[in-house]
Amino acid sequence: METITSFAADRARRTNQVDRWLAELLGAEPRVALVAVGGYGRRELLPRSDLDVVLLHDGRDGIADIADRIWYPVWDSGAELDHAVRTVPQARRVARNDLKVALGLLSARHVAGDPDLTERLREGALEDWRAAAPTRLAELHAAHDERAKMFGELAFLLEPDLKEARGGLRDVHAIQAVAAAWVAPAPGPKVRTAYEQVLDTRHALHEVTGRRLDRLVLEEQDEVARAIGLLDGDVLLRMLAGAARTIAYAVDHTFRQADRLRGRRLRRRPAERRPLADAVVEQDGEVVLARAAEPADDPVLVLRAAAAAAQAALPLAPRTLDRLAECPPLAVPWPASARDALLALLGAGPSAVSVWEALDTEGLVTALIPDWERVRNRPQRNPLHKFTVDRHLVETAAHAAALTREVARPDLLLIAALLHDIGKGWPGDHSVTGAVVAGDVGRRMGLPDPDVELIAAAVRHHLLLPMVATRRDLDDPVTVRQVAALVPSRALLELLHALAIADGLATGPAAWNDWKATLVADLVRRVAAVLDGEPTPEPAPLRADQLELAADGGPAATVRGSEVTVVAPDRPGLLWRAAGVLASHRLAVRSANATSVQGTAVTVFDVEPEFGDPPDPTLVAGDLRRMLLGRLDVEDRLERRARAAPPHGTRVPAPRVTLVDGASETATVVEVRAHDAPGLLWRVGRALGECGLNVRAARVETLGAEVVDVFYVTDEDGAPLTDRDRRRATIGSVLAALAS
Amino acid sequence: MKLITAVIKPFKLDDVKAALQAYGVHGLTITEASGYGRQRGHTEVYRGAEYQVDLVPKVRVEVLCEDEDADDLIGVMVKAAQTGRIGDGKVWSVPVETVVRVRTGERGPDAI
Repeated sequence: METITSFAADRARRTNQVDRWLAELLGAEPRVALVAVGGYGRRELLPRSDLDVVLLHDGRDGIADIADRIWYPVWDSGAELDHAVRTVPQARRVARNDLKVALGLLSARHVAGDPDLTERLREGALEDWRAAAPTRLAELHAAHDERAKMFGELAFLLEPDLKEARGGLRDVHAIQAVAAAWVAPAPGPKVRTAYEQVLDTRHALHEVTGRRLDRLVLEEQDEVARAIGLLDGDVLLRMLAGAARTIAYAVDHTFRQADRLRGRRLRRRPAERRPLADAVVEQDGEVVLARAAEPADDPVLVLRAAAAAAQAALPLAPRTLDRLAECPPLAVPWPASARDALLALLGAGPSAVSVWEALDTEGLVTALIPDWERVRNRPQRNPLHKFTVDRHLVETAAHAAALTREVARPDLLLIAALLHDIGKGWPGDHSVTGAVVAGDVGRRMGLPDPDVELIAAAVRHHLLLPMVATRRDLDDPVTVRQVAALVPSRALLELLHALAIADGLATGPAAWNDWKATLVADLVRRVAAVLDGEPTPEPAPLRADQLELAADGGPAATVRGSEVTVVAPDRPGLLWRAAGVLASHRLAVRSANATSVQGTAVTVFDVEPEFGDPPDPTLVAGDLRRMLLGRLDVEDRLERRARAAPPHGTRVPAPRVTLVDGASETATVVEVRAHDAPGLLWRVGRALGECGLNVRAARVETLGAEVVDVFYVTDEDGAPLTDRDRRRATIGSVLAALAS
Repeated sequence: MKLITAVIKPFKLDDVKAALQAYGVHGLTITEASGYGRQRGHTEVYRGAEYQVDLVPKVRVEVLCEDEDADDLIGVMVKAAQTGRIGDGKVWSVPVETVVRVRTGERGPDAI
């Protein structure tokens, strides 16, 4: 604490010294003033800062001599001088055309001479700034985005630029500039503390290196840390990460308020509320809670709102985050709905990163996953990495979201990606400790034991494929056998392959390239050839009560809680028409299991409402029975509904449809991997029906926002598909149905 | 002076590095490379589908040495990189006019 005060005091002392010196140089001269702008205006003179000074006058004669009298001694002292000689109208004109000058004038401060001149400049500059606020703030926002693209994020970079990076000093100046336009409040105490921390670090960097540097490179970090009284560079980076996150979050919020000001002037229409998920709505480009939401009674709401925001590629409103903090802790193990929401959040890809970041700033991530605390803001000393551990994990999950079609278990891929380096918070080999921690987290999330084991194995071996592929002889059968011994199933091999790609892409450009990708893919092919084929998931056997229903022959439909059972004499199109009825009642199918018992089809759906209260079960059952009797036009109802459906906000990987050979002798197995959407099962089923195919059995699974559907289909004669053209046409029409 | 370049199988890099170190070579440059030689890549059959691999990943190792060491070094590298199978790679040397160590400005053999 003491050192921090001394840095601020040092800056103030230096500022006062320079003020006095400049005042002496100017002397008792009438009708001129010396004005400090920029960092000097804010009294933030660092050891190597340049002096931003304006010599203000009212158009009098002899100003050039006065200027020489001041500038030359300053130049001779070796200080860097950024100077201008202007009248008040000139200064305002320049500021109107140059954003940088305008921003500098916002911190104008009188140093010497005629104070009235300075006051006229300050007031004039502020007046101009407020008058042109809509365009100026848009420029400011664009400049911020440009900086973020060029310099990256302070919080997650291992060698950050303290001034220009996102979350750095400039962002706080931007907040102050927006506040000066009376559009958003000035930086709060949290942001001011964060600002002082970053500024002190820059101060120490100047002092330690003796140069005007903004980029905190690795080799200076330990010494800079000691200079501000911290143990070492790691502690320093953690402090900076916390500060930068606070600043970045505040600047985003400030710009959203600024943008809204502009939007309102352009559009002038009332804010619309559009439902996104249960108790979660979109309003004015932000995700907020519905009026009926009750955070205090709804522990899953945090993840549901976050998932909705990520899937719609929208930010969570700050007041919503405040309210989400009221949610009670999730029960351990988590309910399935919480797991699904987490997967939908991670599965959204790049848009998940900022949502995760927002949750983390409010401490909501560590509340969900306490083990996250140990990797939070954790720097890593490794020339390949460019992000802190926690950001690297989230980035890996975002990259993994693009690979969900490559694996049989997209849900486990996303969780393994999120946890693969979680062991870096503990001593020892991070793969080994990570496997233990990831297992604990998996159990906490309520995953079944086999899935927990698969995740732990994926974390344990996440470096195996890249390491073996680049260091061992792939032509040697021993190499392939050794890998196959450690990776005994195709499910794990697929996970490890996708995880290696996502991990490499999230690490940095040096860690992943075509060269490495080719080697790893080669290894995976060779290992896969050694492993036996995984069995395709088959329909689950029926329970006794369901068999009893089947014996009656139907048609019958029952709705019990989330379980919907449909029984009818088997005929083509039953499954997808029933799915269509459910979709028309805004019920999302989590899983479906269709089997046939001696000519009677029994389909069991597990459903949940897309949002709001579940529909009346008697209405649903009634509609299902009408459909079975052929008295309900499902298609018409769904078409109307589809037109009203909200478009997707986030980009998702293209769906994949494969015909799996050898999985069944009497039917062709169609495997569909896609992003979940309302009525998906209905669309796929209808496409199969239009190809003249009969769905004999099906197993549909929704894993977060992803679905993996398996259909056992036969042709008109009840035989598997063998004709090559017909197989291709089937794949084509299912893909077309998914794209529509 | 000579520049020796070797294009070898990636997994042989550690062996080649160790052999060069044992010989007393202190510096070398590694590049990740892809290419093909007489084998023109290779075709693999996997789950019924054919995969054409046209560019095989390789590692390129470059070492500077004095004229009289060149033959020995080539021998050391070939021995370390050899598996006896197709795609083991190539090693060659070319004459070098000037070498300057950037830090000190030393020239010629002193800079190696």
